[in-house]
Amino acid sequence: MDLKDIFWLSYNDLSQKKVRTALTILMVVIGIAAIVALTSFTSGISNSITGELESLGPTSIIVGSSTQLGFTQGDVNEMEALPNVTSVTALITGAGTFYAGNQNTSVTVVGISSSGLAQLLGGNVTLIQGSAYTDTIAPEAVIGYDVAFPSSAAGQQTVTTGQSAALKLSGASRNASEITVPVIGILASHGTSLIPIDSAVFVSVQAAGVLLHKTSYNEMVVTADNLSSVNATAALITTIFGSSARVLTTAQLLSTASSIIGSITLLLAVIAGISLFVAAIGIMNIMLMSVMERTHEIGVLKAIGFKNRHVMLVFMLQALIIGFMGGVIGIAAGAGTAYGLVGLSSLASGPSGVQGSSSAGVSSSPTFAASGYRSGSRFESAPGGGGAVFAGGPTSSSASSSGISIKPAFPITTILLALLIAMGVSVVAGLYPAWRASRMEPIDALREL
Amino acid sequence: MATHQPYSVRVQNVSKVYKMGGIEVDALKDVSISLKSGEFDAIVGPSGSGKSTLMHILGTIDKPTSGEVYIDGVATSRMDGDELAEFRNRKLGFVFQAYNLVTGLDAEKNVELPLMTGNVSQGERRKRAEALLRHLGLGERLGMRPNQLSGGEQQRVAIARALVNEPTLILADEPTGNLDTKSGDEVIKFFKAISKERNVTIVMVTHNLDIVKHCDRVIHIRDGRIEREVVN
Repeated sequence: MDLKDIFWLSYNDLSQKKVRTALTILMVVIGIAAIVALTSFTSGISNSITGELESLGPTSIIVGSSTQLGFTQGDVNEMEALPNVTSVTALITGAGTFYAGNQNTSVTVVGISSSGLAQLLGGNVTLIQGSAYTDTIAPEAVIGYDVAFPSSAAGQQTVTTGQSAALKLSGASRNASEITVPVIGILASHGTSLIPIDSAVFVSVQAAGVLLHKTSYNEMVVTADNLSSVNATAALITTIFGSSARVLTTAQLLSTASSIIGSITLLLAVIAGISLFVAAIGIMNIMLMSVMERTHEIGVLKAIGFKNRHVMLVFMLQALIIGFMGGVIGIAAGAGTAYGLVGLSSLASGPSGVQGSSSAGVSSSPTFAASGYRSGSRFESAPGGGGAVFAGGPTSSSASSSGISIKPAFPITTILLALLIAMGVSVVAGLYPAWRASRMEPIDALREL
Repeated sequence: MATHQPYSVRVQNVSKVYKMGGIEVDALKDVSISLKSGEFDAIVGPSGSGKSTLMHILGTIDKPTSGEVYIDGVATSRMDGDELAEFRNRKLGFVFQAYNLVTGLDAEKNVELPLMTGNVSQGERRKRAEALLRHLGLGERLGMRPNQLSGGEQQRVAIARALVNEPTLILADEPTGNLDTKSGDEVIKFFKAISKERNVTIVMVTHNLDIVKHCDRVIHIRDGRIEREVVN
């Protein structure tokens, strides 16, 4: 018997009962939409977070000081001398408020060498105005894009190069007075990054030491020469500094982030799985009903020569059609829902998009409390004032402007898998009703006449 | 077609025992009949006489407890389900009291159904179905669904469906039971004509003694036994 004819018989019967078919398909649609929406949403989150982390460089090792002493130039030199280390970028960081025009903007003050800045920015310092600083003690500032064009000023430029702006440092300054810094360069918008580059004020290390009253670095980014040497190098650094430093590799950050995302995904998958299970029960129920209703018809078909497998196929194909249609519509609905979820979560976390929720998720991991000075330290850091570069902490509202944006991910494998699941679930649910139909004796089916 | 054989259908010593609630009921007791090709025959008898059982056994959708049914010289009682399905598909046609057309399919597709399980091409199927429906006066009704057809028309579609695979034997279970007199007479007229034209044995079960006068042979059955057999 031609499969085309069987398909035709199946389809014809489904199209006869439009409402019932539509409702059956809807059950699959809901299950599949849930799966697609949730997985694409979570893999979207996962992509953004891992993307952010990977932008640090997979061979980067972040070394944060866990004491008040920080790292000396000697420490930096020692790091540079380690085998397999290609570069070390040392940072002095602090938090502050930047006053320009009528606006004040929370900023992270980063003391970094000019070459280190280039490295942090991915090789080149791209400026829209002015020039980069040289490594002198002069407090010349290169400011992030959002510092010059704060969102509070609706994108208006509040300061140009050549002008000076007031910088008030929170905590670190003994006098706690405002410092005037000339702005010599404005960075091009760097976009999303875990390091709030767009809302940072960069000065030379020497200048930062003066401004922040620090004689040592509080963070180092050590770059290993290749992936295979990262862990060994990290271990070596840990041995050198002992408890006075927290050593983190990008891989560790990634694995922590992905394990969190993994558990969220698992939870959502379970929810979606339950809805699919319910759909399967629904399909089985409706198909059993349909088989009962069509008892006579099945009897007639068997009387005129349809074999068991023909009848079985007719019903299995019906299940397959329901699964396929439910799958296709469900994937589309799921995609729509995923975008809706992104919109919803950006509403929930303010204009900064999903960044709020994702950074909250990540910063709950201890790895992000990598640095920062404790309050009551001899540097008189205010609570939460340390403002470590790598901590997109809750106090740094400025960080949100360079927050992570989430784009739901729809890899073709997910789509195919969803379609496969939809058809698979339907077929499994249809097996028993189809088997019941195929086993009907024509005599029993006809006797009821 | 087995025109060289004297009988297209032979029922030999067929008995059928049902078990109902632990009690054995003899539906058929040692029934033997022989039917010729091209005959339009009737099985008549009161309710519970066993005429439907005989009909089902002739149609190979029920098996005798003992005895054998030969159709076109082939013994049917030992075939399994799929063999029987194929056998019915090639040798038998069915017409039911309630027409039993597939409601979702139009007249033509209903007639094509028995040909779907074989290797008949789409074009050939359509041609044969169309020709038969035209022959039965349904040329204007090809694309109509059963619910758009009258009872008489539906029964004629059913007759076309029974005929389309050029069977040896057509079994008709109370084919006029749901029809008015005029449509019923028409159906009988078709059966009579078809049996001669196509040399097919048609066996009709009925309790309407009025219509059996058109039949070549009338088998009276009572209490599971052949009471008498009248050849017109």
